[in-house]
Amino acid sequence: MTPTPWVRIDNRLIHGQVIEAWLPYTGASVIVVANDEVAADGIQQEIMSLAIPQTVLPLFVHVERVVAALVQAVAAGPQAFLVLFASCADARRALDRGFTFEHLNVGNIHYRPGNRQISPSVALSTDDEACLRFFLQRGIELDFRCVPNDPVQARFT
Amino acid sequence: MGDKERNVAAGVVVVSHGVFGEGLLEAAGLVLGPQEGCRAVSVAVNAGMEELVEAIKAAITATDRGNGVLIMTDLFGGTPTTLSLSLCKTAALEVITGVNMPMLLKVLQIRTQPLAEIAAQAKKAGQQGIVVAGEILRRKRTEG
Repeated sequence: MTPTPWVRIDNRLIHGQVIEAWLPYTGASVIVVANDEVAADGIQQEIMSLAIPQTVLPLFVHVERVVAALVQAVAAGPQAFLVLFASCADARRALDRGFTFEHLNVGNIHYRPGNRQISPSVALSTDDEACLRFFLQRGIELDFRCVPNDPVQARFT
Repeated sequence: MGDKERNVAAGVVVVSHGVFGEGLLEAAGLVLGPQEGCRAVSVAVNAGMEELVEAIKAAITATDRGNGVLIMTDLFGGTPTTLSLSLCKTAALEVITGVNMPMLLKVLQIRTQPLAEIAAQAKKAGQQGIVVAGEILRRKRTEG
């Protein structure tokens, strides 16, 4: 069994809010960047690694290999995980591959034409909405905070 | 014991030439969310010295909850720093110069610690936050 990770959707993946606010809040010792493009791009990994404190281990994995990465990391000792996905669809793919979570922090999904803005940092496409509805049906709690001390601001049903 | 004092957040005042400090506080709010007990004092070209000292004093009073106030200024030797230093004897203050974003973020994260400790950590974070990214990337390449 792996401990409950903090799971966040953030289209910027590693950035200031994640490093300065969510890392201290979650106490994570491992950041899992679950993203197909980054997993295949060594330069992006190096740039992201620069931003991550040296006490935190970054793991860059293919979306469908999140579970394997967590299992491997836990084998080295108890860890607290922060798992980042760039999109709802990626989180859904991971879920379909056996990555279970009960709480999903929807942090940043930035505006694109046609998306419905539900909070300053979240604008949902119809696909995103279908995806989040699926999560709700699975009993996953949605949390739309951009940073930890935000009020829980957007309701989504 | 002593927990009450320790849990009080130090006041944060950024004193700068122009609106630099206001902008920094706004930027920090984007990263960490809205923060309480923070003030910026912007020193305009035409501002009178007494007026400025009063503005800094007011900012100190507004942000001090009993754990003192950390004043961050932009430039050692500049007016914002000099005027802030002139108040050191009258209030529980630490003045740190060369404020930057990493320093401010660190301070906002550890505000309930003793003032001297916040100041020491702020200095460290401000210095460590300056990275010539290309140097590290190149070094990693040659090592790897």
